Amino acid sequence: MKAREISSMFKQLFGRSSPSRSYTNKSNPTAAELSVQHLYPLVQDNLEAIKQALHHASDLVIRSFSVGPSQTPCATASIDGLVDTAQINEQLLKPMMHSFDYLISSAEEMCSVLEEQVLSTYQVKRIATLDDAIYNILSGNTVLFIDESTDAIAVTTIGWKSRAIEEPQTESIIRGPRAGFTEDLRTNTAMLRRRLKEPNLVLDDYQIGRRGKRDVVIAYIVGIVHPNLVKEITKRVLSIDIDDIEGSGFLEHWIADSFLSPFPLILNTERPDRVSGSLLQGRVAILVDGDPFALILPITFSSSLQSPEDYYQHWMISTLTRLLRLGAAFIATFLPALYIALLEYHHGMIPSKLAFSIAGAREGVPFPAVIEAFAMEITLELLREAGLRLPKPIGQTIGIVGGLVIGEAAVAAGMVSPVMVIVVAITAISSFALPSYSFAISLRMMRFGIMLAAAFFGLFGIILAYIMINVHIVNLMCCGIPYSTPFAPLLKQEWKDLVLRAPTIFLKKRPKMVKPQNTDRMKKENDPS
Amino acid sequence: MKYFEYGDPKVSALDICVTVASMIIGVGVLNLPRELAKVTKSSDGWISILIAGLLAMIAAFLLAKIAVHFSKQGYFAYTAAAVTKPVAYVITLLLSFYFLSYCSYEIRAIANISKQYLFERTPVEVIALGFFLVVIYAVSGSRAGIIRLNLLTIPFIFGITFVVLSFSLTKLSVVDLKPCFISSITELASGVKASIFSLLGFEVVLLYITMMHKPQLAPKAAAIGVALPIIMSLAIYIVCVGVFSEFALQEVSNPAVELAKEMQIPGEFFERFESIFFTIWIVTVYTTTIMAFDCCIYTLRSMFKKIKHMPAIYMLSPIIFWLSMFPRDVNSFAKMGDYISYLGVGIAVITPMIIYLFAKIRGVKSDAL
Repeated sequence: MKAREISSMFKQLFGRSSPSRSYTNKSNPTAAELSVQHLYPLVQDNLEAIKQALHHASDLVIRSFSVGPSQTPCATASIDGLVDTAQINEQLLKPMMHSFDYLISSAEEMCSVLEEQVLSTYQVKRIATLDDAIYNILSGNTVLFIDESTDAIAVTTIGWKSRAIEEPQTESIIRGPRAGFTEDLRTNTAMLRRRLKEPNLVLDDYQIGRRGKRDVVIAYIVGIVHPNLVKEITKRVLSIDIDDIEGSGFLEHWIADSFLSPFPLILNTERPDRVSGSLLQGRVAILVDGDPFALILPITFSSSLQSPEDYYQHWMISTLTRLLRLGAAFIATFLPALYIALLEYHHGMIPSKLAFSIAGAREGVPFPAVIEAFAMEITLELLREAGLRLPKPIGQTIGIVGGLVIGEAAVAAGMVSPVMVIVVAITAISSFALPSYSFAISLRMMRFGIMLAAAFFGLFGIILAYIMINVHIVNLMCCGIPYSTPFAPLLKQEWKDLVLRAPTIFLKKRPKMVKPQNTDRMKKENDPS
Repeated sequence: MKYFEYGDPKVSALDICVTVASMIIGVGVLNLPRELAKVTKSSDGWISILIAGLLAMIAAFLLAKIAVHFSKQGYFAYTAAAVTKPVAYVITLLLSFYFLSYCSYEIRAIANISKQYLFERTPVEVIALGFFLVVIYAVSGSRAGIIRLNLLTIPFIFGITFVVLSFSLTKLSVVDLKPCFISSITELASGVKASIFSLLGFEVVLLYITMMHKPQLAPKAAAIGVALPIIMSLAIYIVCVGVFSEFALQEVSNPAVELAKEMQIPGEFFERFESIFFTIWIVTVYTTTIMAFDCCIYTLRSMFKKIKHMPAIYMLSPIIFWLSMFPRDVNSFAKMGDYISYLGVGIAVITPMIIYLFAKIRGVKSDAL
């Protein structure tokens, strides 16, 4: 059965509801389904209710006071550590307690006076329900309750510690911006805004997760992106119904078209420049609060072999680099399998001189090439994993120990042949040369399958495995786009920015495969000047 | 759950062109030079290929032209309207059987040649089964995927053929190509027969036309799709005669593959290039096989709408595999190939034309604009 059918069955089985919503509807999706418990008239009742709802949390700070000549009882509630206390003191408590001298006749008037004249913070909003109040408190706002009022006021006082903007760890480049996303959603959206002063850049905010209520932003540019694409992606994101999406990875796996495919169907990136570039191509980005990785979709097979740096370097260099990466992807997937096939089945294909030196090197090695290759590849994966997990200073030791012990000692002991060490090393280097980590992982995984195929059937097995990968790719869809675009279906125009990266002045059009509504990114005349 | 598709799932004229070409290029081309060398003299086989090619192109053009008339309702519905339902059942079943046996033939052929060039000891059955399982994997995917697969593979096939032919040129002796025009008409005619058989496969346009966005472009696309393999066969044939000479060529079992053995690559990085050439050739035989299988399912399901895609595959797979293991030796296998070709010419090329005449007489509704 097709992977897609299975995944659709799976989705139906677990009851993914698919609320049909317009992609411009920005109302809070969870607010509608909350039980509507309105606020109590008395401050004391509200405070009690909140304390109860939060189980008398130790970090819940409640400050009761009375305001103005009429001595109206008020109280603020907030979570310690999430808020900026100096801001609360200066802009909320001080003006209310010291300089409030308006004569107020009703609670409603009190609210509007507070909103319009007293509270000097830059964002305030009215809330009417208890759940809304609790949500605001938990997201770092301060909620101000006023006696006899039907509404409370939520004041934005977010002030938690967040990491500074740093260089992306997973996608370092030589030339180009060095800023990477952080865990803070607002910082990330601000970084996008700073790159694109485009009024049509839309950032739709949703709270996803029953308990986590994590902020998720779907970003796109109106006028470029195809509306159906946004509609579909929004539908998929809103269909997530779980306690908490723990990060962008979870979201990615939930909304991807197929969960059986080893290939990344959604691109993840830490780079704002990559996101803004993709948005301008007519794609959609998803940012998740608490995760420095943004998701970009739809993508195709070739996206995983491109790096943002391709656009910053000279086009010849970029073209060569892309060719190199294509070769690297091939080597990383097939080289050990080819080694096995040639050694075990087709000795005749190796040129005689080389065959002699390989045979000489393999003299005394007790295992067949298959066992040798598997042992070395697994050792390499172990080394890589160990180096990742260990603290940085020890991680380097692992590299040295691994390199020396596995390389030198294993050869000296006659366990593996030096040729095998060369093959494994080239494979590892090639897989590190790929710009997308998740893509490199899937190639690494497939490598073992292909090695098995080579062990059973030699070259015939490798070509069958190659065909299977191809068949899998042509059957994959990513948000309605065949994953093999622009190779098949053939889109000639896209070949300008595929393996070849044509000079910038020739890249006049946005990629046709995502069906952008506005196709030109330069003025239309043929004269590039 | 309906899958979101805002891209166009229909296939273009280019897709059909490539599909026809990649259906035709199978094991036939590998053997054609020898068949021609057996029946014609000197290098006169090229006349046969050209005549056969011209005939095939005309036939493909006509078939596609006819197919335009049922580009929406499909072949079976059209046939049923033209020559009554029972007859249509028989004709479509035969067509289905033709594709089924075509598929079996390709599987056996690939297993035979693989055994010759890649394995010595592995039994044919095991090789065929491995290949067939991968075929089933592709067929259980989407039909549009199969068409996309053709587009991915055809450049490699033409690329590797070009490499082999151009590196073989150093071994080519022009003397072997001369004299010209010495074969008799009857010899040329049997050459035409052999060439036509290796050019069969353009019938797929009858079925895949229903997926086309603009069916009226199909005739031209199909004709060009046939032209590509003709050019390829011509080039392979001439180089083969030049390299092996006509007399030796009669004894060479897979001339195109042997050509890769003879050629010399500068740098001597590879020896026995024929293994690599053949390994890549497997891909095109593979696409031919999956399309034959898919067409078989297509025709069956057009008659029996209740059968689902996957059960049809499970049902047909054992039959195909059994049929592919049926021929005992090389001779009976060659005979099987001949029977399939006769069946193909009869049921997939001539019959649709006759049906078209009936449909014209009875005024069957046409989908053409």
